[in-house]
Amino acid sequence: MKLSHKEIDGVIVLEPKGKIMGGPDATLLHDMLHDFIDQNKKKVVIDLSKVEWMNSTGLGILISGLTTLRNNGGELKLACVTEKIESLLTITKLITVFENYDTVEDAVKSFK
Amino acid sequence: MDKPQISGDTIIVPSDTTYLAEVDEFVESKLTAAGVSSSLTADLAISITEIVNNAILHGNKNDPKKLVTVTLKLGQDDVEVSIKDEGQGFEPDSIPSPIDEANLLNQVGRGIFIVRSLMDSVDFRFTSGGTEVILRKKIKE
Repeated sequence: MKLSHKEIDGVIVLEPKGKIMGGPDATLLHDMLHDFIDQNKKKVVIDLSKVEWMNSTGLGILISGLTTLRNNGGELKLACVTEKIESLLTITKLITVFENYDTVEDAVKSFK
Repeated sequence: MDKPQISGDTIIVPSDTTYLAEVDEFVESKLTAAGVSSSLTADLAISITEIVNNAILHGNKNDPKKLVTVTLKLGQDDVEVSIKDEGQGFEPDSIPSPIDEANLLNQVGRGIFIVRSLMDSVDFRFTSGGTEVILRKKIKE
């Protein structure tokens, strides 16, 4: 997995690419997410358009980010969820937990 | 063994999650070569990396001297995958349901549930030498 990020209107947009399956790649996403939380950046969107799939490790990282942000008055939202990941979110009922937008632009706007 | 070894339809990896990507690459190359659809290949890769991750972390407890062995048996209509570790085993039915409201925000505990949802069958064999998980999935519609 590769990971980049950008900031749009005060919202951090994380852009993982590839597969999130555990091991050092997954640690990258967890650490970057928590680095931004430490910097008091509390509005985060994860653009999943380039993530082919993830397993439970990836879902655990999303949950960890969401709960940490919510506990600090922030929010983590998802954008561009692929069919495979949406199916996993549905199976695990996490689809009911995350706000999920069709585009990054819509996700960013939802913070206003 | 300090790095993964591949022999035919088997890959053996030391207990280090760094090697998950190599397990995925092995699985996807074999399934793609056999003409399995990309969606089914993804379901199998998700399930296999999930079980291998558990085998490394919980079965072999990250002991690099202990190995995880993944073997694919590709049939005409289905695939059977065996994943063996050298751990003490566990009680699969004792894992709390991750879709219970109280567990929904837990960071861990979804792996086996996801694998059971994606595969046609999941069987566990516990022996004194370790645990074997056997996954089966139809690959022809």
